[in-house]
Amino acid sequence: MKTGFLKTLIVFIAMSLLTACGGQATATSNGNAPVKLILGAYTTPREAYGELLPIFAAQWKEKKGQEVTFEESYLGSGAQARAINEGFEADVAALSLDGDLKKIADAGLITHDWHIPPYNGMVSTSVVVFAVRKGNPKNIHDWADLAQPGLEILTPDPKTSGGAQWNILALFGAALRGKIEGIPANDEAAATEFLKSVLKNVTSFDKGARESITNFETGVGDVAITYENEALVGQQSGQEYEYVIPTSTILIENPVSVVDTYVDKHGTREVAEAFVQFLFTKEAQEVFAKHGLRSLDKDVAAATKAQYPPVTDLFTIGDQFGGWSEAGPKYFGDSGIYTQAIIDVQGQ
Amino acid sequence: MTTLAQPTTEVNATTPRPENISRSMSAWRRRLLIGIVVAYAALLILAPLTALVSGAFAKGIGASLTALRDPAVFSAFLLTLYIAFITVAVHALFGTVLAWVLVRYRFRGHWLLNGVIDLPFAVSPVVVGYMLLLLFGRTGVLAPVLEALNIKIAFAVPGMILATLFVTLPFMAREVMPVLEAFGVEQEQAAATLGASGWQTFWMVTFPALRWGFIYGVILTFARALGEFGAVLVIGGGVQGRTETVTLFIYRALDERQYVGAYSAALVLGLLSLALVIGTELLRKRENR
Amino acid sequence: MTNTSLVTAQNTPRRAPWGRWGIQSAAWTYITLMLLIPLAVIFQDGLRDGLGALWQSVTSPIAWSALRLTIWTSALMAVVNAIMGTLTAFVLVRYSFPGKGLLNAIVDLPLAIPTLVTGVMLVVLYGPQSFIGAWLKEQMNWKIIFAPPGIVLALLFVNFPFVVRAVQPVLQSLDRESEEAAATLGAGSATIFWRVTLPALWLPIASGALLSFARAIGEFGAIVIVAGNIPLRSQTAAVYVFGEVESANRQGASAMSIVMLSLAFTLVLFVDWLRKRGRKDSEE
Repeated sequence: MKTGFLKTLIVFIAMSLLTACGGQATATSNGNAPVKLILGAYTTPREAYGELLPIFAAQWKEKKGQEVTFEESYLGSGAQARAINEGFEADVAALSLDGDLKKIADAGLITHDWHIPPYNGMVSTSVVVFAVRKGNPKNIHDWADLAQPGLEILTPDPKTSGGAQWNILALFGAALRGKIEGIPANDEAAATEFLKSVLKNVTSFDKGARESITNFETGVGDVAITYENEALVGQQSGQEYEYVIPTSTILIENPVSVVDTYVDKHGTREVAEAFVQFLFTKEAQEVFAKHGLRSLDKDVAAATKAQYPPVTDLFTIGDQFGGWSEAGPKYFGDSGIYTQAIIDVQGQ
Repeated sequence: MTTLAQPTTEVNATTPRPENISRSMSAWRRRLLIGIVVAYAALLILAPLTALVSGAFAKGIGASLTALRDPAVFSAFLLTLYIAFITVAVHALFGTVLAWVLVRYRFRGHWLLNGVIDLPFAVSPVVVGYMLLLLFGRTGVLAPVLEALNIKIAFAVPGMILATLFVTLPFMAREVMPVLEAFGVEQEQAAATLGASGWQTFWMVTFPALRWGFIYGVILTFARALGEFGAVLVIGGGVQGRTETVTLFIYRALDERQYVGAYSAALVLGLLSLALVIGTELLRKRENR
Repeated sequence: MTNTSLVTAQNTPRRAPWGRWGIQSAAWTYITLMLLIPLAVIFQDGLRDGLGALWQSVTSPIAWSALRLTIWTSALMAVVNAIMGTLTAFVLVRYSFPGKGLLNAIVDLPLAIPTLVTGVMLVVLYGPQSFIGAWLKEQMNWKIIFAPPGIVLALLFVNFPFVVRAVQPVLQSLDRESEEAAATLGAGSATIFWRVTLPALWLPIASGALLSFARAIGEFGAIVIVAGNIPLRSQTAAVYVFGEVESANRQGASAMSIVMLSLAFTLVLFVDWLRKRGRKDSEE
């Protein structure tokens, strides 16, 4: 009868799909069997890796005669680190900030020091900028303008997004360095107050840098604090907004690393390490530059200078904050400066 | 007679002509109520849906179809359907068993079992994904066992199936139970006296009567499984081509500014679910005639 | 041919004892594996450091505010849903008008749309960049999306069917005698509705409203898009849990999850009890 047929159909389809999914290539880089590499990245360099992966696959095929297929996942940097720690078996982790790779190392999954030459383990850089509407109607030129009452700001959620953490530290660094009007240098209390006045204007905390900028593009908010490369990629895809580089901002350094536990488990170490090395080559750096990221390669940087104007006061997390191992807990820990600030702001 | 007439004249003193007034008043009231309800439904439900449709066709039907032909969309639909079918298969069997046990048997803890199966209605999908992570994640309770058996559950399809199984659990049982209850045991008893085994009784006597409850349960389970998002996001990780269902694809497409693709996929998913739900109702109405 | 001697009155309608045991244990195994074990794991994780630690986590400013926001927006939605759901059911059952079939289909629509898509649609339609959203912002300084009203709106959409579908069958099978009697006694239709019809419907209305309340507490897909996720302002409990999970803060995630689960379970049990009463009442 009808339902008996229905059930048989269900079982049949399930079985056929099961067998279909069963036939998959095993992932080893021995011999010429096809190899699968899993990439876990943060949200922003999606387009860059979209171009880089086929290039590497072609090169590897030529060099070793082996097929490489990629599986990609793009989440907020913190969220991606968490996923990898919870069992997402990424062979290569390309995250927004060093602190997130450290989380993976702390979990025992990365057992080597990824700060390797030529760029100390960093694969790309960017800066924190402000994306504004065409014509900059609200006249946003620097950090101080963000505190004006009634302004609507978009910035992602530091809990999940690396970009959000860079944003906050850029603000704080500029304040501590005395580059914000009305804020004396090295005055942590004043800087915190300024942070609060900006946080008051935030309309929405999105999960990742990408979500934040696409939200901005739907017309929400007056300004989005974001990566320069997010703004550039947006412009490249036809979005009509401008971005402003503040006088003082932080250098966003994006690291990449092979995840030891998983590459050993999958037998993909050789390909994975070759892929990481590939990212440091001039060719890959040019692709990164094409997609809005400031290249670490001196020649490529010189060639793309027009697109990437110099910053008046550029500082790094190492110089200003003593690196992520210090800044992470101090600002974003349970009793961190930012964590407390957000509570204070909403309490008002 | 006078005692009956008095209340009438007191309450409705102007009875004869207001027949017309009260009729037109109630007609006016009728229109107002219908108007309010229709306006509510239109603003709340229809308007956003129109936004969806216009978003999908913003660049024309051609662009929409092209977006749907993306291999990522195809594999997302395959995965969604795969998960939905398995979910339905499992619940069709066990949900019916559950309904049987709850309706036909009395035992201690009956109220608990009955209450617990409704729980997935109210559990947040995030919590579902999180529970599964606690069990099957790399640092989860069952991690050593999974490691030993080399089974991947978290960040793989099995985890997503488990998540979907959890959220769709109530539907089958809840649709079958009332029908089973209404059916009563007399026919089953009669069959037993005629020598039918338990199994025979079930298949030939009970099940045909349950038909519509069963079908509704299957359809609702299926439709719910199609639309699952939060739980599969947390447990699956959204790896393109591997653990990406249609809902996760929509989420990613929005991230990639592929708005036409996102809305088109959403429209297809919605139409599919809607067709299932409404189609079943129509079939049932036709059968009842 | 027929083993009638083996089939005694005591054995009908149940199967032979081992069969019954087999089926019952199958049901319990199913429930244990699918439901009880995952729930146990989360309770165990959250209560690991004791009830005190759990309470502290949940009453921390961000968590507590998320819980409060969730409860009041869900409650408000439940009330509006109860009213409009009952009205909708009434209109669908008692009146006929052009487009009635369409309205009936529309009631089912939210079940077919993934919640994520609901959120996206609402932002497109009522967000600050839309015609409606911009107008409301300028004229009345009202923010719908990325603010609590947007949360209530999303919840109303997603839970629309529940009160309607709970009330409809009861209203349909309602005995009109009492209503007709009241009419002959001269009661106006409004009075009849308030004094006769509605009291008969309070059980399905309550159970439908409470069920939508329970569901709303856990709503995620629509809210994460629509709400704005600002801690202490527009972040609900489910989105809070998501943030905690994604930043590997187990204590926060488990503690809040336990509170949400306990709330959900209590509500669900209460709804079940109401439904049982409803069935008993209708049998009388």
